[in-house]
Amino acid sequence: MKKALAIIIMFLFFAGCQKSPNISADILGGGQVFDPSLYNPQNFLVSLSNPNPTAEEAQKPVIIACHGYSATTFEWDEFNDWSQDQSKYSISRVLLAGHGSTYADFEKSTWHDWQLSIADEYNKLIEEGYKNIDFAASSTSCTLLLDMIHSGFFNHANTTVHIFLIDPIIIPSDKSLSLIGVFGPMLGYLKADNTTAENKYYYLFRPQETLQQLEQVLNTVRHELEDGIVLPNNVYLKVYKSKQDPTADPVSAVLIYNGVKTGNGNRIDIQLEDSKLHVFTRLRLRPNVTAQDKANQLNAFTDIATRIFN
Amino acid sequence: MLKRVYLLVIIILIAQYSNAQGPVLDVGLRLQKAVNLYSENGFAVNYSSRTLMPDRLYFGFSYVTSRLGTAFNSNAIMQDNYLLSSAYYFKEKHVIRPFTRANVGYFSADYGDKIFDVLPRKSLLLSADAGLCFQTHSPLKISTSLGYNFITGNGLSGPGTLYPVFYQVTVSWNIFNRMK
Repeated sequence: MKKALAIIIMFLFFAGCQKSPNISADILGGGQVFDPSLYNPQNFLVSLSNPNPTAEEAQKPVIIACHGYSATTFEWDEFNDWSQDQSKYSISRVLLAGHGSTYADFEKSTWHDWQLSIADEYNKLIEEGYKNIDFAASSTSCTLLLDMIHSGFFNHANTTVHIFLIDPIIIPSDKSLSLIGVFGPMLGYLKADNTTAENKYYYLFRPQETLQQLEQVLNTVRHELEDGIVLPNNVYLKVYKSKQDPTADPVSAVLIYNGVKTGNGNRIDIQLEDSKLHVFTRLRLRPNVTAQDKANQLNAFTDIATRIFN
Repeated sequence: MLKRVYLLVIIILIAQYSNAQGPVLDVGLRLQKAVNLYSENGFAVNYSSRTLMPDRLYFGFSYVTSRLGTAFNSNAIMQDNYLLSSAYYFKEKHVIRPFTRANVGYFSADYGDKIFDVLPRKSLLLSADAGLCFQTHSPLKISTSLGYNFITGNGLSGPGTLYPVFYQVTVSWNIFNRMK
């Protein structure tokens, strides 16, 4: 009798869980709002906007800007806008696979797909003759790039590859992510804490499959850092990390700092920011932006724009 | 060093011939793993008096550290957990005994560089665990449990590598009990 009751309760519990969310059409993922790079990729990717660079253009640095989990190219719009005054480099904003599209697309994407979007743009630029390619990455893209460094992706680069990591995530702030493998299939999806305006640029609903992918890549790279990642001589890496971060625990910076060494055994550059924001370089659509937030953003943009020429 | 070994042997021999109904002092190794984070190993000592719910109510101290786990010979963060615990063991005289335990303690992480002094690295520990203890007629006990940390890091406060769910195995020897 007890057994039967337990089975009935479990059945009701699992049946009661809605595995797919009701997504309104006016938000990202609902099937009507898409990342603009899907309509006009040539406005976002340098590999498409200028596939046959002149010798002079080929020498000009291209910064591949890549966003975090559940975000879109929007995350780097401000850096792109700010850089319009700079004619010394161009920015290629990559949309990670499964992102900026529909919930179904997102649901079936893996972290390897996300990574491939970054690698594809880099490889295309190389094939087209670009000589100086750098990266500005936020959140999960930082994790993806660390894995690429570990796998030897940049070992044969001919010029220095500058990689700037903004609020990288290795340890999530929300520790319940560590249990997603158990509770994820029961829940189906999790709802993000976006503002209404942000819902057009960030997925509101996160399929548990993608959260498992996120957990998987975080664990993979954490293990790689524990074993030690040695930067190739032609890779420069700098980490910028908010001292408080509701999404990527600041201790992520400690793991990267301890886990990555330069080719001659030196430490990488790191800068802790007086900020409580995750991806402190994105201020657009945030409520209550402070003067300190603006200063942090400007300093990071200026620093990146300067260091790519060192 | 040799004197210490002799002393230890004498204590164990005295304990072997002491009253079987006497107090229990389990001393052993504790192997712990946070789900999706570090393994942390160390030791555990648990005591049950002959007067206060003997062999049912236990008071203990344990120390586990990632230095003897994931951080051994790796770049993982070195962190230490000191725990005082109070446990209740059910089903006296049974081979498999369920138990439940409340723990309070102190957590400390070493980030290695002064630049990270601004980040939280110490915390109160408050956890509960429950599991099974396998106990034969020998002084050997093997207990395993699943636990939950009520205090964890959340990116804004608390150490980031303090995770919620952990499991542990403790292999211990009752040094106050003789073979039956």
